[in-house]
Amino acid sequence: MKIQIENLKKSFGEKIAVDIEQYEIKDGEMLGLVGNNGAGKSTLFRLMLDLVKADGGRVLMHPSVEEQNQGIVKGSVDVAQTEDWKDWTGAFVDESFLIDYLTPDEYFQFIGRISGRKQEDVDAFLQDFEQFMAGEVVGQKKLIRNLSAGNKQKVGIVAAMLLQPKVLILDEPFNFLDPSSQSAIKRLLVDYNKKTGATILVSSHNLQHTVDICPRIALLEHGVIIRDIDNTDRQAATELENYFEV
Amino acid sequence: MNKYRLYRLLTEQQELKDKRHPMFEKNRFMKILMWFMVLYYAAILLLMGAMLPMGFSGMYPGVAAFHVLDGALPWLLLVDFWIRFIVQETPAQQVRQYSLLPVRRTFLMNMYLLRTAFSTGNLFWGFMLVPFGAICVLPLMGWGGFLSWMLGWWLLCVANGLCYLLCRALCMKSFLWLLLPLAVHGGIVALMLVPDKNPLDIPCTMLMYEYAKGNLIYIIGAAALIALFYWANYALQMRMVCNEVAKKEEVELKSTTQMNYLNRWGALGEYLKMEVKLRMRNNQVRMQFLVGIALIVFFSVVQYFSDVYSGAFMSSFVCMYDYIILGMMTLITIMCYEGNYIDGLMARRESIYALLRAKYYFNTALLIFPFLIVMPLIVTGRSSLWMNLGYMFMTAGVMYPMIFQMAVYNNNTLPLNQKLTGKQGNTMQQIVSFVALFLPIALEKLLVLLLGDVWGYVALIVVGCIGIATHRLWLRNIYERFMARRYANMDGFRASRNS
Repeated sequence: MKIQIENLKKSFGEKIAVDIEQYEIKDGEMLGLVGNNGAGKSTLFRLMLDLVKADGGRVLMHPSVEEQNQGIVKGSVDVAQTEDWKDWTGAFVDESFLIDYLTPDEYFQFIGRISGRKQEDVDAFLQDFEQFMAGEVVGQKKLIRNLSAGNKQKVGIVAAMLLQPKVLILDEPFNFLDPSSQSAIKRLLVDYNKKTGATILVSSHNLQHTVDICPRIALLEHGVIIRDIDNTDRQAATELENYFEV
Repeated sequence: MNKYRLYRLLTEQQELKDKRHPMFEKNRFMKILMWFMVLYYAAILLLMGAMLPMGFSGMYPGVAAFHVLDGALPWLLLVDFWIRFIVQETPAQQVRQYSLLPVRRTFLMNMYLLRTAFSTGNLFWGFMLVPFGAICVLPLMGWGGFLSWMLGWWLLCVANGLCYLLCRALCMKSFLWLLLPLAVHGGIVALMLVPDKNPLDIPCTMLMYEYAKGNLIYIIGAAALIALFYWANYALQMRMVCNEVAKKEEVELKSTTQMNYLNRWGALGEYLKMEVKLRMRNNQVRMQFLVGIALIVFFSVVQYFSDVYSGAFMSSFVCMYDYIILGMMTLITIMCYEGNYIDGLMARRESIYALLRAKYYFNTALLIFPFLIVMPLIVTGRSSLWMNLGYMFMTAGVMYPMIFQMAVYNNNTLPLNQKLTGKQGNTMQQIVSFVALFLPIALEKLLVLLLGDVWGYVALIVVGCIGIATHRLWLRNIYERFMARRYANMDGFRASRNS
């Protein structure tokens, strides 16, 4: 699924949160989004998920020929005009995506069933995440609100991927995770991208992780993409370190 | 910092918390309405205080009017107790945010307990008692008697407030504690209504007369009762705060309910499960539901044992109230709890429509509860079967469509597990709640007048059935209007979340 951003603008009062004239994320690409606090990363994701109203412009999703042949969708979709894109988009931005009075198992069952998946498929899918969840999420008689921040993060990420989306959007997925889980989620994301050809967008303050997994990195400041960095050979590390003066 | 300055600082912060709530800041109507309601109820109490002496003198010639009011002491304290569930906040939550700062917890707990115990709210009954006492007590007992009579009332209100606080804190641990005040108060009401002569009448009259005489022992007795409730509150709430901060509370569920029988409805079944779990696992929502049921039981008991609600208007009003109360308490704030996880819902196709349908089916199914509760009244002929059926169908087919419109306009997130402060809500919520109570009665009166008793209620049933049969249409309309306003609503939900 190709994503196209056209003249997208969003301000909060005087402050410009997002101002992107043209930007294209290719089908099956894994894009990292980096920037300082207040750069507009989360707002951009919320605009792409139609969770906030853009002051101007639009976000379009273009299915590949293969996806059109599969009957997923016929033509391009403007995310603010239709809900079609919700069928193939998985996302986790923050805790407001989680129904915290359910247990993780109930939440996964809920997400699975409302997406038309059978319980056996959900269970089989969760097995791939066993190492990532480290036995602390599934099978526990704990409500999501009583989990640690890291385990809540895991629930959100797994639920977003549970739909096996064509577009996956994760805001700060490495936050709160222990080193083992950070390593596990990096591997899971790369494998998922290779296996399904899904378009994946990941924002992070962790430059190393972003460089490790994303062949392309967009540097965002004050709502504007100021650099579009090719990272196919992990050459973005130096440029990013210099920019942020790490 | 000395204790007085600390007290002032914390008091100012509390006032700012109330004033700066996003919904309260935005909502001029609520501010005006709040003051209007205070003035309205103050005026009603003033009027009662001025009129009751005359009424009592006419009803009970030869008995001092204040003895009659004193005999009704349990009623006043019962009303005072249950009203607090709507208007009073529990102090434990206020202590929590300061518990890791270099401020002694004992100071904080004492400060908030004292503020709550001696809040001006306990003086609100004074709007009735001062004019009443000035007319009845002052001429007979002089200034000393008047003031000590007032002091007696106030001390009992303070003790009642602390008793409420204790019950409220216990209910936060387990909702089953709600059964305690229900059982005690139910017993008191039964004791006052069942026997031919109310056995509490004379003891209460004598108690208040001792206050009017300035009997120091009785004043000390009330003060001791306050001290006892204060100590119980202090011990319980301090332990709860310590447990909360240390996260000692039980976080594992004893059991998880699968509700597999709902699986046959696919995605809709999942939203129905969510509705059930919303009520089972969140203190605030569960408390609303239980208080609603308690109110229905209370009105039914009063209706069963007395003729207070036997008039044409009141019997209609109470009957309507029985059916609408649960919907009123939970649906007026429809989507406000979902505001806590609205982004997750909005990321799924048509999830709001499925949620609305689940809410409608769930709340319609709940109408069986009031019907079962009032069944003894129907069997004994104290309430009409046709009227009950009429209001039940009317609620599902006419009132719910109206209340569900709030899904389009509500945009303030309500906490799932904390106390409402009473300052949340918006203009539409107020209007709909007023209309929800009085529109059906007006419609019923009109239909009964035009068609007669039975056919009037049959017409209500038919109108209700039309609403039920077309529920998918009007729910779809609500969903489409919700989606048209989604950005403004989501902004509101985000702004009021965690505030």
